[in-house]
Amino acid sequence: MALILRILLILLTLCLATTHELNKEEFHEELLLKPLSDRKILSHFHFRHTLPDVTHSHHSLFPKAVFQLVQKFRVRELELSFTQGRWNYERWGGYDPLSSSNAKPPGVELWAIFDVPQHEVDASWKNLTHTLSGLFCASINFLESSTEYSAPEWGSQQSSGKLRYGALPREAVCTENLTPWLKLLPCRDKAGLAALMDRPSIYRGYYHSQRLHLTSSEFGAVGSTTGIVLDQTLTLVLQPDKETGSMYSGSSIYQPNWSMSSLFGREVGGKCVLAESSTVFVLLEGGLVSTLKNTWREKEGHEADNIVVENSWSNPNFELSIPPNKVIEEVTTLHKNPSILYEYSVEDSEASKPFDLEFRWKNPVAWSSPKAPLSASRFLTGSGNERGAIAISLESSGRKDEKPQSLGDFVEKMRVSPSEDKVSPGVMEMILRLPCAVNSAALTIDFDKGFLHIDEYPPDANQGFDIPSAIVSFPDFQTKIDFLVGNSSKKSPMISKLQESRNIQSYTEVLLVPLTTPDFSMPYNVITITCTVFALYFGSLLNALRRRVAEEERHQREIAAKKTVRFPLLFKLLAMLRGQTWEQPPSQSSTSTSLINTKIVIKVIIVAGIAAGWQYYYG
Amino acid sequence: MKNSLFKSTAVLVSLLFLLQIQPAPAQAQSSTTTTMHTNNWAVLVCTSRFWFNYRHMANTLSLYRTVKRLGIPDERIILMLADDMACNARNNHPAQVFNNENHMLNLYGDNVEVDYRGYEVTTENFFRVLMGRHETAVPRSKRLLSDEGSHILLYMTGHGGDEFLKFQDSEELQSHDLADAVKQMKEKRRFKELLIMVDTCQAATLFSQLHSPGVLAIGSSKKGENSYSHHLDSDVGVSVVDRFTYYTLAFFERLNIYDNASLNSLFTSYNPNYLMSTAYYRTDLYQQKLEEVPVTNFFGSVMETIHTDSAYSVFPIKNSRTNNIKISKEQSVDVSDVKQQSAEPSNTVQPGKCPYTNAWNLAIMAITMKDNCIYYIQSHDVES
Repeated sequence: MALILRILLILLTLCLATTHELNKEEFHEELLLKPLSDRKILSHFHFRHTLPDVTHSHHSLFPKAVFQLVQKFRVRELELSFTQGRWNYERWGGYDPLSSSNAKPPGVELWAIFDVPQHEVDASWKNLTHTLSGLFCASINFLESSTEYSAPEWGSQQSSGKLRYGALPREAVCTENLTPWLKLLPCRDKAGLAALMDRPSIYRGYYHSQRLHLTSSEFGAVGSTTGIVLDQTLTLVLQPDKETGSMYSGSSIYQPNWSMSSLFGREVGGKCVLAESSTVFVLLEGGLVSTLKNTWREKEGHEADNIVVENSWSNPNFELSIPPNKVIEEVTTLHKNPSILYEYSVEDSEASKPFDLEFRWKNPVAWSSPKAPLSASRFLTGSGNERGAIAISLESSGRKDEKPQSLGDFVEKMRVSPSEDKVSPGVMEMILRLPCAVNSAALTIDFDKGFLHIDEYPPDANQGFDIPSAIVSFPDFQTKIDFLVGNSSKKSPMISKLQESRNIQSYTEVLLVPLTTPDFSMPYNVITITCTVFALYFGSLLNALRRRVAEEERHQREIAAKKTVRFPLLFKLLAMLRGQTWEQPPSQSSTSTSLINTKIVIKVIIVAGIAAGWQYYYG
Repeated sequence: MKNSLFKSTAVLVSLLFLLQIQPAPAQAQSSTTTTMHTNNWAVLVCTSRFWFNYRHMANTLSLYRTVKRLGIPDERIILMLADDMACNARNNHPAQVFNNENHMLNLYGDNVEVDYRGYEVTTENFFRVLMGRHETAVPRSKRLLSDEGSHILLYMTGHGGDEFLKFQDSEELQSHDLADAVKQMKEKRRFKELLIMVDTCQAATLFSQLHSPGVLAIGSSKKGENSYSHHLDSDVGVSVVDRFTYYTLAFFERLNIYDNASLNSLFTSYNPNYLMSTAYYRTDLYQQKLEEVPVTNFFGSVMETIHTDSAYSVFPIKNSRTNNIKISKEQSVDVSDVKQQSAEPSNTVQPGKCPYTNAWNLAIMAITMKDNCIYYIQSHDVES
């Protein structure tokens, strides 16, 4: 009986296994650590969900919220990024796949390609922004207004008019955006690599970009992938702790030592059990590897080619605390230095034996990261509140290794959709072809500053208005890192992403344009002043019309005659104000009045004395 | 078996039919006070922008933490924060917000859901949330989906004055607007009871126009009085909490979800000497005795769940169905009892007498419990 049961069980599991093999949902988690030339560390988390079969609505791993979103709005491709800080293209690189795909403009950036008829795209976009705003606790719904988004045509994607792009440069990025993003992962931040994400250490970094990229081939196949692929990446630039980094204090040329626990304040206590693979990579870029090789050559007299890459994790320059499971070297052409990737699997670590990789430098090293062919910067010119100009300057970074172009027109193609007041934003797209000899180029665009409706001013209007970053991409320059990966059956999403050839892309700065801001209390002031003027006018008019002067004078004389005048001075003053001559009523005794006068004088002096004393002691 | 299933579905259909037919009397009943308190909601609003108003955000987040701790889940809390303090460039403790200079408690923990933030915090959106008038695209997480059995806590903090509260330094919420919104909420049966708690200068004046029944209001100061901050954190560089909220929290920190402290004990706990203002509460629109209402009626979500001996089944088979209905007869009587004694914190039902026991439980159970009740009551109707 037991045997039969066991056989049945085995059969059952076999059946399950075979049915699952065909369309299995997969989840991968990976982390890439890369030392940067300015003593900082780049950490790049990559989580990938794949859903090959979209016909069934029941999923075990794939987040339901994202699936419904794709279904409802028929999204073909979507990218949403939340970024804090600005990617330093000079120091952190601008010519590698990591920077061109993960450097994002500050704030929120969203673009999406829809698979709906042309006239429904805007409605889908609007609904999508609202849904994402609810999902990620951000004000993405501000992108629904037609002045906030545009439909660029020559971006990196071929979209046939179904792409919408919007950016919110001032959107705050904080914990509340990361938490729902983490909730899309099967293990959240409770296990696996995501457990490293200690909020204070993440947000203390110099750069922080949280990205969600979605590709769906459900509605007309795009590329080779089928189903839905959800990539979630978190790119951080962190400064290693001062304590561990200051081992060689005094000389700043030493790179700081770091470990995963010193960067994040946490350790990995094992993989997320639902993940297919859980891997940590350490990437040494080509520039660093070549300088390392030079120093090895000097120190040990080796030939550069003789260095065994497999043992390079512990060498005269640096040391990794754990031997890597695999060392992968880049396949390059002759003139380029190969980068090295160390691969660690977190699978055998557990809570009692957490995975904590440490990187110790033994020698000072300096190198520089490859830069984009042109570095772009954008700024405002002009003064005053009437008009201004935006200038974009392109500086050559000195790469001369490309074949020279024929010198034709610089501007090959240009498309401008001018801004329409309260209807659409101004968008300018240009394709420039610059000869290699050009060292710098500048573009300026003049604009007039408009006036907004009083309701359209934000509460802190005096701070200025943000203009989202411009995108600069170089279609003739591709970047990828080809790794010599054996014919391993499970290919890592991170490595395949690095191997994908993609255009170099960078973003310019966000601009802050000061606009004329009205005095918002002005309506109140105008009302108050107008009312005062009217009150004065009507008051005096009424006075003039109603007043009976002769009657009043007679009445006053009667009063004066009746009672003894106690304050002749006061009356004199009142009479002067009224424009009459003061007639001294017949006084009964002059002595009494003088006596009263002296009394008043004394009183006044006493009061003044008290006031002076008060002022002296308490003032 | 098949037959019984058919029968039960027939009963279910007839139940549904009854539900369809009977809404008019049910609603007429609900407008009175006879509906049960079935769920809790909280709307927490920080209306101030700019870094120096850090304390207002800390106030709101402290209340957020408290109501979450006392059982209101995130999906029933609408949190509006007018500015970003946690990741503000001036904050030298990134992703952290403190309400005390000892920095023992990070209010901005790993699980904060902010529904409206930054420029979204406007009087317009505030009224939209209260009245439930949204565009169709607005997601559920940004809506106040309360019903006639809801107890709502509305907490607001910011800068205010005589009969107004400033939003974002550019708009004003006036006492008339608030009263109108509450009136409309009442007409649309969006709440059973509403507690408005305001920490601002001259907070009491904000309640002067309220006239809807079932509304309880408490403010940090009377007309002509200012509300002050409690203390300055020299590390953060600004004041971190207001006095009224500080002492409110001091009251709640002693409580856990099962405590039966009454609203009266909260309202009388404010000492004008500590507050440097007089806490004012308005009770003339509220029918119940404050001594008998536990604070968890508003600040938490504590539900009496009814434990049946048999398991709850979606498609009840015949035996269990009759069993259920038997229970429901007694229970539907008891529901009214519970209603009357809902203010009574003590457990009044004798365990031996009834086939079920009362238990305090978390709000997560509230939905099922509510469904249960409707089911029981309806089935009782069918039987009678």
